[in-house]
Amino acid sequence: MTTTAETTATDTVVGFDQVTKTYGNVRAVDGLTLALHPGETVALLGPNGAGKSTTLDLLLGLKHADSGTVSVFGTSPREAIVNGRVGAMLQSGGLMEEVTVAELVRLACDLHPKRYKAADVMARAGISQIADRKVNKLSGGQAQRVRFALATAGDSDLIVLDEPTTGMDVSARQAFWATMREQADQGRTVLFATHYLEEADAIADRVLVLHRGRLLADGTAAEIKAKAGARRISFDLEGAVDEAVLTGLPFLTSIDVSGQTVRIQSADADATVHALYGLGVYPRNLEVAGLGLEQAFVAITEAEEAKQS
Amino acid sequence: MNSLIKLELARALRNRKFLFFSVLYPSILFLIIAGKSDSTTKVDGSGLTLPTYMMVSMASFGALTAVLMGNSERIAKERESGWVRQLRLTPLPGRGYVLAKTASAAVVSLPSIVVVFVVAAAVKHVRLDAWQWLALTGAIWAGSLVFAALGVAIGYLATGDAVRPITMIVYFGLSMLGGLWMPATSFPRWLQDIAKWLPTHAYAALGQAIEQSQAPHGKDIALLVAFFALFAGGAAWLYRKDTLKA
Repeated sequence: MTTTAETTATDTVVGFDQVTKTYGNVRAVDGLTLALHPGETVALLGPNGAGKSTTLDLLLGLKHADSGTVSVFGTSPREAIVNGRVGAMLQSGGLMEEVTVAELVRLACDLHPKRYKAADVMARAGISQIADRKVNKLSGGQAQRVRFALATAGDSDLIVLDEPTTGMDVSARQAFWATMREQADQGRTVLFATHYLEEADAIADRVLVLHRGRLLADGTAAEIKAKAGARRISFDLEGAVDEAVLTGLPFLTSIDVSGQTVRIQSADADATVHALYGLGVYPRNLEVAGLGLEQAFVAITEAEEAKQS
Repeated sequence: MNSLIKLELARALRNRKFLFFSVLYPSILFLIIAGKSDSTTKVDGSGLTLPTYMMVSMASFGALTAVLMGNSERIAKERESGWVRQLRLTPLPGRGYVLAKTASAAVVSLPSIVVVFVVAAAVKHVRLDAWQWLALTGAIWAGSLVFAALGVAIGYLATGDAVRPITMIVYFGLSMLGGLWMPATSFPRWLQDIAKWLPTHAYAALGQAIEQSQAPHGKDIALLVAFFALFAGGAAWLYRKDTLKA
């Protein structure tokens, strides 16, 4: 019995079991069931209003589920935080004003049961140079780094980040993810919500797609793209382009004709191209390419919305 | 939690405007109001000279400023900015934030009381027994908790935009109507009837009873306890509501 409980506790970092959270008549989270495992780097993707922030709030104990259970390291979210197992960076995480960066980081370290030295935390977050600056005088990107420092003030086993690179430029973003990878390489579980979808593609081992409070897809970035199943086909045609004929191609999901250039999205590129030659036209500069995660994501959510309406 | 109290305190002590209004301003007002009067004018019905009477009023006013002004505005703004949420992601217990705010305000309110006493004794030659000075300091300091609770309640009630005007109205209303700026005995009859039910009136009456070498009136203590229960209960209720909403 004890062994089973221990195994469950160590194997599941975060467990959602049939979790529902409703605001008025809007179901922000609708029967969500998921499990995160130790050492995973997981991206939480979804359009605005998909329930990402509510999911993170439930996970962190900031909100309570109407039904279902949320467990973190086999305990309640609050207990996991009190035990110092969770570090979190909120999108809306305000900072105490009129104090210096160093004072704030020192406070976060003091409050953490498994604290690191404030100087080390600041060095890792890349804010040592601004240690004496007042918190209310920081740029958006600097404030994000300070929030990151607060989330990593101690030896937490799970790090939760809500859109962490908002307000950072490209180089700051790359530096941030390099720091984040170090955290993951130390065996921590990292969960982040982002709307920079290329980040999910580049960084996450696992991508969860959330839509209307439900889990739409759960897999690697490559699997998510495959699930959308879409390829982009583009080619040039000589002479007049008869769009009506092209629209009849099999597995076609969208078509865009500009001048001689045709761009098609297809659910089965092989079949579409085969049928294209069957039309007796001669496409030049034919290209078939996979969709980026962003387009795959749009395709999945559009398909879901089409099903609902 | 001690580290949060320390940081809150460091911040309060760095804020010159706040220190001026809570520590120096009451003494300056005292000198303006009591400045012209000699030490023989008695305030109606109290048997106390005007400087002695106003010393307690202004010490109470200073403590009120220190505990009410800073906290209500900070709490409302920090709720809005998300700092309160961020703190809830640390092992700090939920009440810790409010307790740290109240504790740091209490540290600032002590000098605001003592400075008025020093100015009154040095400039207007107010003389009291040693036990009276100590009892006054203790009573005014302890009584300020009633208004600290009110400050917290306003901080959880108001939005960041509305908090300053609401605090100002409550602050000036309670100060003036409660007779902290001028003896309530100078008010018209109907206003006196209202004033004697205000917590600020009971608050200053505590100190004035000590100056008259009397035990504070039971009614004033009962009134302060009732207001404390009301404000603290309201603050706790609003805090819980805010936490669920978050």
